[in-house]
Amino acid sequence: MRLISKFIAIIIVFYITSCNNSKKEVIVYTTVDQIFSEPILKDFEKETGIIVKAVYDTEETKSTGVMNRIIAEKDNPQCDLFWSGDPMRTIVLKNKGILATYQSKNASDIKDVFKDKDGYWTGFSARARVLVYNKSMVDDYDVPQSIMDLTNMEYKGKVAIANPLFGTTTFHIAAIFNILGDSVAKQLMAALKDNEVVIATSNGDVMNRVASGEVFCGLTDTDDANEALKEGENIGIVFLDQLGMGSLIVPNTVSIIKNSKNQDNAKLLFDYLLTKKTEAKLAVSCAQMPLHSGVKVPEEVPSLDGIIPMNINYEETSSNLKEIQNYLKEWVEN
Amino acid sequence: MGRKLIKYPLYTITYIAFVFFIVVPVIYTFITALISSDTLFLLEKQVYLLLAKSILIASIIALLSTIFGTILGFIIYKINVRFRQFLKLALLIPLFISPYIMAVAWKDFFYVLFGGNSLATSYFGLIMVLTMVYTPISILIIGSALSNIDSQLEDSGLVLTNLKSVILKIIIPLIKPALITSFILVFIFSISEFSVPVYFGVKLFTTEIFTQFSAFYNHSLAIIQSLLLVIVCIVLLFSERKYISDAPFLSVGSKGSNSRLINSSNINNSGFLILVSYFILSIVFPILTLIIQSTKGGFSAIERAFGLLLPTFADSVLLALVGTIIIVFVGFISAYYSVKSNRTTSFDWFLLLIFAVPSTIFGISLIKFYNQPALDIIYSSYAIILIGYVGKFSFISSKLIANSIKQIPSNLEEAAQIQGVKLSIKLRKILIPLILPSLFAAFIISFIFSLGELGTTIMLYPPGTEIMPIKVFTLMANAPQSLVSSMSLIVLTLTLLIIIGFYMLMKPLLRNYNLAND
Repeated sequence: MRLISKFIAIIIVFYITSCNNSKKEVIVYTTVDQIFSEPILKDFEKETGIIVKAVYDTEETKSTGVMNRIIAEKDNPQCDLFWSGDPMRTIVLKNKGILATYQSKNASDIKDVFKDKDGYWTGFSARARVLVYNKSMVDDYDVPQSIMDLTNMEYKGKVAIANPLFGTTTFHIAAIFNILGDSVAKQLMAALKDNEVVIATSNGDVMNRVASGEVFCGLTDTDDANEALKEGENIGIVFLDQLGMGSLIVPNTVSIIKNSKNQDNAKLLFDYLLTKKTEAKLAVSCAQMPLHSGVKVPEEVPSLDGIIPMNINYEETSSNLKEIQNYLKEWVEN
Repeated sequence: MGRKLIKYPLYTITYIAFVFFIVVPVIYTFITALISSDTLFLLEKQVYLLLAKSILIASIIALLSTIFGTILGFIIYKINVRFRQFLKLALLIPLFISPYIMAVAWKDFFYVLFGGNSLATSYFGLIMVLTMVYTPISILIIGSALSNIDSQLEDSGLVLTNLKSVILKIIIPLIKPALITSFILVFIFSISEFSVPVYFGVKLFTTEIFTQFSAFYNHSLAIIQSLLLVIVCIVLLFSERKYISDAPFLSVGSKGSNSRLINSSNINNSGFLILVSYFILSIVFPILTLIIQSTKGGFSAIERAFGLLLPTFADSVLLALVGTIIIVFVGFISAYYSVKSNRTTSFDWFLLLIFAVPSTIFGISLIKFYNQPALDIIYSSYAIILIGYVGKFSFISSKLIANSIKQIPSNLEEAAQIQGVKLSIKLRKILIPLILPSLFAAFIISFIFSLGELGTTIMLYPPGTEIMPIKVFTLMANAPQSLVSSMSLIVLTLTLLIIIGFYMLMKPLLRNYNLAND
């Protein structure tokens, strides 16, 4: 009898701690750093009364834990809404048939290039790929202005990039392949390798190596650069190739998971993320550039209007990525 | 009087539950991956070269950890050094910090010292960090074996010969099973670790699996590759079993096993010096780095980190505690019947299989099996995390407990059996009191691992819940270094306080154990 009552007690505990999806709630999986995404989700919770249950990702897994979880849960989706830090992962999910379509009215003034034409994903607040340099090691007038400059002898062993198999670096390289074509892009990659480019573990690691002076400069994202500036590091930022192919713009994306349980609440959160208010908050917290026009941002946040962006199609670049991934693996390993 | 339907009901129920809840999901995942994936890569020479490299590195780490663990374990458990009790606990500290955070701290420390990362960004860095992280496991395993040695054997040896000969001819052969267990556990931990090799940029078999998983999203290939790792571990355990079957298992004496402490001022001082040097190198340096980083701009980062982690404390500790109790129970049941049957049971193999499966693959297996509407009560609750803990760590507890049971003379139990003593009383009055230090060591190790488990938990934690290691790692990305270091320090302090609490609670029992054995 005692054993049975203990068993029932355990079941009750598990029931209480389990997610009851019939409630007024929405399940969000996000690859966006918790430190930036959580405050936005909490605000939504306060404003709407809808409980947000979030799953965040880790740097240790290169922010792919959540992606792999969504793929593994495909047959019985737990996640209602996927908030990604870049379009690349979202497009992988779209191609695996995991996403549903939804077009938010709040995205009407966002440029078409930042939206899926069928509504599988919509972009908002963007980061950019930039070159960061250590101001005490590189003079302002001598700073590389093009990715091609990084192959110059004077930067031998003094340029860092994150492992191009993961994260926004993958997307950056895929975009370069898309614009320059395979042959020229491979020449560039080979030249970088010959120039003993340092392969760091992450964009944050690139930032640390530049800030510490281990390398002169490196490629990273604006949010990492912004964090280093906040910490008082003596670094400068350059948007590369403003006279050429432009800088890569990496928007956040939001998507709804097909057959998920709280679709209505997910749509409300989807709309919320696409508001100017959310973009303004992300501009303050992590220097992300709004895709809506007329959003008030702090002074240090660059405006998209002042940057020549890479002229790419995100879907095509993602497809391209699949083709060059084996090449990149070989490039990293050899 | 009817015949009993099941010969060993407790064992059978535990075994069936383990197989159903934990083994079936993994085997199902392996089978579906084998069916759905192209296995031609298994014929490629490169795969085996990479595997061989991983085996070599894991062997070096396991060997170094076992050597350090033996030396340090001997000093702590056999020599009456100053601050012995403090150092016994303090040397466990590297276990409380995630290997990834240790790697970051060490790299930063090397940078401050040498102004460049070259020394740490290499095989050297990888081997050094993992050796330091896993040496406490060796200390615990070997230390608990040393404290089980019958003092009469040492005394008799010392009458006839010197201390050196006693160590080499009596003590080392006696703790041989513990040395092998230490090597195997550290080997398996090292060969399945991916975050530190990725951080140091060293390409190993696990980093290849990680790449397939996280860059190519090729789950099937990653799962099949991990199968090769499992096979390596099974071969290792098989040879261990074969080897250990011939090993001389000396038992605790009928009067007891109270370990005799060496009390010579020269030896005490040298031992103390070695312990302190190791303590400074493996603990003070990385922790100092974390403290300097945490307090760079005052104490605000520590306050903030505390505020962020506070809501996770209760659930994380409770989950780890419940998980640990189940783990020690499963470990004890499997160990007891494995030792009694004097062979490797299928339970042993299953425990090893799950332990050897990389955490991410184990997580994926549990998702694929439990993510069904009918099993929602498990999948969407903390039960899924408990299943993860029990699967990952029962092997360790089983190995530790089995080694201890093997050292108990069978005539003690036989005598009780002749007297018609019930099994439950036999266990409670004879066996458990005699293996108390090992049970406690298994409890402590399982608790530390459960509290810090990340690889499987990150795949399984229910949305909206907050568990300490997950929160530390999800907040790590893009958080200021001071906040990350502060969180690591808070996790370390909390773990340390809990372990001290366990030691205090166990102190009277362990004292009774020692008195009973005097």
